[in-house]
Amino acid sequence: MLIGIWEAAFRFYGWKAYLFPAPSHILQSFLEMLNLEMLNLDAHPRGSFIQSPLLLGLQVSLWRLVAGFWLSLLIGAPLGLLLWRSKLVDDVFGPFLLGLQTLPSVCWAPLAVLSLGLDYRAVLFVTVMGSAFAIALSLRDGMRTVPPIYQRAGKMLGAHGWKFYAYILMPASLPAFVSSLRQGFSFAWRSLMGGELVLPTPAPMGLGLLLEHGRNLADVARVVAVMIVMIVLGMLVDRLLLAQVEKWIHTRFGLTQAH
Amino acid sequence: MSAFVSAPIRRVTTRGNLQLSAVSKRFSKRGALILDEVTLNCKPGEFVVVVGPTGSGKSTVLNIAAGMLKADQGEVTLDGEPVSAPGPDRAVVFQEHGLFPWLNAEQNVGFGLKMRGVSKSERNDRVQEALQMVHLAHSAKKLIHEMSGGMRQRVAIARALILNPAVLLMDEPFAALDAQTRTLMHEQLQEIWQETGKTILFITHSVGEAVRLADRVIVMHAHPGRVRKEIPIELPHPRNFDSRDINDIVRHVRTEIEDEVNRVNKHLAEDFWKPEKRTDLGSADRNLGSGI
Repeated sequence: MLIGIWEAAFRFYGWKAYLFPAPSHILQSFLEMLNLEMLNLDAHPRGSFIQSPLLLGLQVSLWRLVAGFWLSLLIGAPLGLLLWRSKLVDDVFGPFLLGLQTLPSVCWAPLAVLSLGLDYRAVLFVTVMGSAFAIALSLRDGMRTVPPIYQRAGKMLGAHGWKFYAYILMPASLPAFVSSLRQGFSFAWRSLMGGELVLPTPAPMGLGLLLEHGRNLADVARVVAVMIVMIVLGMLVDRLLLAQVEKWIHTRFGLTQAH
Repeated sequence: MSAFVSAPIRRVTTRGNLQLSAVSKRFSKRGALILDEVTLNCKPGEFVVVVGPTGSGKSTVLNIAAGMLKADQGEVTLDGEPVSAPGPDRAVVFQEHGLFPWLNAEQNVGFGLKMRGVSKSERNDRVQEALQMVHLAHSAKKLIHEMSGGMRQRVAIARALILNPAVLLMDEPFAALDAQTRTLMHEQLQEIWQETGKTILFITHSVGEAVRLADRVIVMHAHPGRVRKEIPIELPHPRNFDSRDINDIVRHVRTEIEDEVNRVNKHLAEDFWKPEKRTDLGSADRNLGSGI
């Protein structure tokens, strides 16, 4: 419906296609990117995606996303637990981390280039910086909402040492953990796209760089097409994967119902 | 596996002598005295109910007995052994049930046995037995949020009983239930107590509840918490909760409490508002707004 009005308005008023594209242009550009040998990819082995900048970009970005997200999790989750466990650590590092979290992740890009060089490592660095602290802080806050009565009940029932962690703390913090994962993912995705956009890393290019490439070619249709791909991908992962897991856990815990 | 763990739930009257001797407690070094030399002796198999107004430290008594809080002074022993940490020999039923929402009823009840490494088949049998005791055998697979308040407390009781504790500690377990469900719970608890012969230390603010259930009611004094009076309830079990005897005793205990509540309220009122002779209102140099 919206697309129809958009297309109709475009045809009716006849605005300039190089200022803002019509849906048909975007679709055309999208199809072009899916299957066109327009980029110099000869330097790379001919894989199945090599003819398609869009698929290649998707592959590259998704790989970076997964890697960056895992790294963030590996750093952020223990950090969050530490902040929750130790008041001293929280007092010392809490405000500092909040400060880092306030910094837009793209602002790490210059430092990343200077320290790590202009390649995928810089992009990963930006991604991790953008989401690790978000995961740590939201996990800390989530853990604080775990009712202390579970811990008391667990101790009373004889859960000590590792059993206390495995059978009480871990399951009790699941809702908080999944929420922090979701938060972390959305930060990782934004940071990754931001990082790719500002860091002209050598090929293969990710989605962010593909977007920037579109700008260099003054190809509005292409720019918008890549943006749409980003939106759809981000939403798919969040809605179809993380939100479902969160919903399942909340139902199990009875958190969706009023008590 | 030790004999202690595999013993079925049954009447045991030789265990369960819980003793608090001159226990004192402050929550901070210079804070108010919460408990002042509280001495309490629960004989094996006895049903002791502690009742008192807010601020009498009755929940603190239970938490110290459970080992969740440490007494500043005095001693807590169970069958002669000093109590220092929470443990399955003193199972607690909390006011807010404290059941684990990630497990179903059956898994909640079996949790304590699992922690002790009891085999799955034995666990299943004993869980069934415990659930039958609280009349919940048909709801074994239900999740916690799918159950009513009364059912949750029954699961909590089963979870505590399955550990075969020497003492059952109950912290206002039925406070959040409606009157009808509460009466039902009283009947069931009385039945369970007679069947298992556990020592029960029960905390409540309801005099009616205390008299219905107890062998002995301990009336607490507030600010600081002290044992004010011990009233033995010499009525046979099982009791008819509507009988005149019970109501007479309830009235008697209630007057005891009433004195205490009035004293506490007066004490609080004095804390909140102390009339003072004010002189500054009348003085001219303070009265900045006048004369305009």
